[in-house]
Amino acid sequence: MKISRRDFLKGSATTLFLAGFNLPSLALSSKKKNLVVIMLRGGMDGLCAVPVIGDKNFEKKRKKILIENTIKLNSDFALHPRLIGFNKCWNDNTGSIVHATSIPYTQRSHFEGQNLMESGGRVAYQEKTGWVGRAMKLAKLQGDGLALSLPMPLLLRGVPKNNNYFPTNGKLPQNDTLDLLRSVYAESSEDELIEMMDFIKKRKNEQMISGSFRRGKRENKNLARQAATYLRKSDGPRVAVFEVNGFDTHAAQGGIDGSHTECLVEMDEIINNLKDNLQEAYKDTIILTVTEFGRTIKQNGGNGTEHGYGTAIFMAGGLLKKSQVHTDWPGLKRKELYQGRDLNATIDARSVYASAMSTVFDLDFKRIQKDVFFGDKLENLSDKLFKA
Amino acid sequence: MKNFFRKVAFGLKPEEKAPSDPLTWAQKQVETVPELNWKGKYILSEKEMRKHWIKQRVEENTTLRKKFKNDPQGLRRAEKQLRNDTGAKFWPNNEICIRHAEAVRSNTPVLAKLWYFWTNHFTISDTQSLPQFSTGAYHREFIRANMDKTFETMAIDATIAWPMMMHLDNKDNVGPKSISGKEDWRKKENEPATINENHARELLELHTVSPKAGYTQEDIIELAKIMTGWRPKFTKKKDHGHDVRFESKRHEPGKKTVFGKEYKAGKKGLKMVIKDLVNHPSCREFIATKLCRYLITDKPTKEMITPIIKAWEKSDGHLPEVHKAAIKVAFEYNDKYQKFQNPENWWLQTINMSGATYAYPIPEKKMDKFELGSLTIQELREPDRLLEDIGCHPYRSKQPNGYSDLSTDWLSTELIIRRLMYAKKAFRTYKTIDQLDLKIHEKIIQTNFDNPDKILKIVSKAKSNEEKHVILFNLPEALRA
Repeated sequence: MKISRRDFLKGSATTLFLAGFNLPSLALSSKKKNLVVIMLRGGMDGLCAVPVIGDKNFEKKRKKILIENTIKLNSDFALHPRLIGFNKCWNDNTGSIVHATSIPYTQRSHFEGQNLMESGGRVAYQEKTGWVGRAMKLAKLQGDGLALSLPMPLLLRGVPKNNNYFPTNGKLPQNDTLDLLRSVYAESSEDELIEMMDFIKKRKNEQMISGSFRRGKRENKNLARQAATYLRKSDGPRVAVFEVNGFDTHAAQGGIDGSHTECLVEMDEIINNLKDNLQEAYKDTIILTVTEFGRTIKQNGGNGTEHGYGTAIFMAGGLLKKSQVHTDWPGLKRKELYQGRDLNATIDARSVYASAMSTVFDLDFKRIQKDVFFGDKLENLSDKLFKA
Repeated sequence: MKNFFRKVAFGLKPEEKAPSDPLTWAQKQVETVPELNWKGKYILSEKEMRKHWIKQRVEENTTLRKKFKNDPQGLRRAEKQLRNDTGAKFWPNNEICIRHAEAVRSNTPVLAKLWYFWTNHFTISDTQSLPQFSTGAYHREFIRANMDKTFETMAIDATIAWPMMMHLDNKDNVGPKSISGKEDWRKKENEPATINENHARELLELHTVSPKAGYTQEDIIELAKIMTGWRPKFTKKKDHGHDVRFESKRHEPGKKTVFGKEYKAGKKGLKMVIKDLVNHPSCREFIATKLCRYLITDKPTKEMITPIIKAWEKSDGHLPEVHKAAIKVAFEYNDKYQKFQNPENWWLQTINMSGATYAYPIPEKKMDKFELGSLTIQELREPDRLLEDIGCHPYRSKQPNGYSDLSTDWLSTELIIRRLMYAKKAFRTYKTIDQLDLKIHEKIIQTNFDNPDKILKIVSKAKSNEEKHVILFNLPEALRA
């Protein structure tokens, strides 16, 4: 590890100063810009995905689950070798990582943590809307959200008329039936049901599962292909949300063939298939990941890891400034760890998300900070991470 | 009033007469736990199911991989045959039939609806092949069988049950200072004994006191230490399929402190700490709130929760009393609150009110035709697929917190598409004679709704009996209860 905390802070002081001159309102661009959020449930191990290079202490603590043959990203960090899709983004200057970051939550409960990673708040279960939903409301984007999952994630709530896609088998009922039900919902003021009926009426039977495809259509890699075709349409959705489950590897986390790797590969396939199928629209897209927390530095007796704190964010897309690992690295010596066991988080992940949304939704960062993240102290990273 | 039969149960069958005293009707059903309605030949104990689980896991992970290491096609064929031999595709379907027969065929549908509540409370999520073999049996043996006992008994049994111990990794929770922790081989093989917090955390957060109780990370670690040593005996051959017992060799020595109270080292610690957790005020408040949320509304009020807490305190957590109190509250708020039903309960209500219970769940004589070693035919695999498709498979929750009880979590385009598709499917489970019965919808509506004229008027706009079914079971009155 060659960078030190001091070097980093020297660098960031200048940019903070410059950021003060940000224009209050941003010019509205005519291009449709997309945001894709991939939720990594269970606690993604940032140090499995993006390990540090040459830290003997780290290697010693993870003897049985260390990832070998990694891809060197820079002098300090490497990439998990099975993240082929992301590596392509990195190589064409559209893939970035923010490391040693987390949402401001340190209690290590999945459910509180996942609630907060979606709500963007500080008290679990307090907020009934998500940070993406609130920002979309601020940007007056209605009917622009698409979840690639069966229930509507909290992350997208807060703005009406979100759609989801997770196909089932068979044919939809006739339009007459749908119209009749819609009129009944209208009479009983069932607003949410009305919204959904409007989406269903637009749904085509070929978007359902039929014949030989069956379950394959519901796998994340194929949902990514479908989502890309919607996102690249000028009148299509502007926000898509994916979920990858299974990062909670208390046992048998394994190395290159382990269960944590399988989850990372699922994430990587989403990125890869979005990139390929978004085509030109990839240029105007930001893809990013969220997770509830990272995992302990030290492996446990079951060759797994426990719930931790600091982790990494993956980002891809043409709206990224460049390929980089952005971090204020806290170090992995015992006294540098959070409570002596976890990678510390030196960047509030919400600063990254607020900055990304400022770019994609053409919203002033300060408005997002105030109206989406409750006025919490966040750093505007737009200049560092994204294209203006 | 008729709404109440859907609120605490699954509605009434087309020809069924409404009980004259609904509250007593419902409360009587939760006093004891009767035998299961299912009369099929396959009702295996959790322990018997483990034999199939062991065979599947050991052969899949070791034997077959070695044997076919250079023959991927041969491996796939062998894996398929192994699934036939262990019944991996059959058991979950058989278990769902057992589960659903309680809702639509037994005399105790109210007990069934509460059973589903508790199986979700003590969720076993989709991991380690448990859904294929063990979760259904676990729900029968450790949850349902304890519904006429105290919450403490259920909590202890659910905690030390083999599937729960496996699911939350307590087998890997070993005291660093224990005898086993100090053994030489751990150093040699670099396998230090460590605390695994997973089960302890969920025992606090999900199963008993909830985060509202304000425990700390230290409390979690101390509870995990109390839990060290509880695990199935391990032999390489059996892949952790033995009974769970307390292994003092792996137990962390010394006193532990949870919520400020000290517990001595040893086997008794776990039961003692669970006793204290279930008697913590946050525990009864947490569960009373969850019961109200399940039966009445997304936002239970203090007035709803209080009588349930009182019944808990008076009876020392005796579940029949707690359930009766919850049913009474649901009865009192019946007209004021209609709760959006989760997909599984909605589906069962659709089948029950249709009177298609001769075809769903799949009758015993069909399920019993299955023999180990043979393929599980498509027809027998329908229940599993159905529940996954409607997004509410009781053995396949993705996480240990189970499924949400909030309406908003059941409202999305896709979830409403499922209701449309499966209302159609419910119609198609009918025999031809019922499909052609022009009076069938009138009967369903007259039996189940207080405002039959209004509903009849809407439904009569449909052009076919099938369309009537789709409309009826997607009306706000049918989606809520």
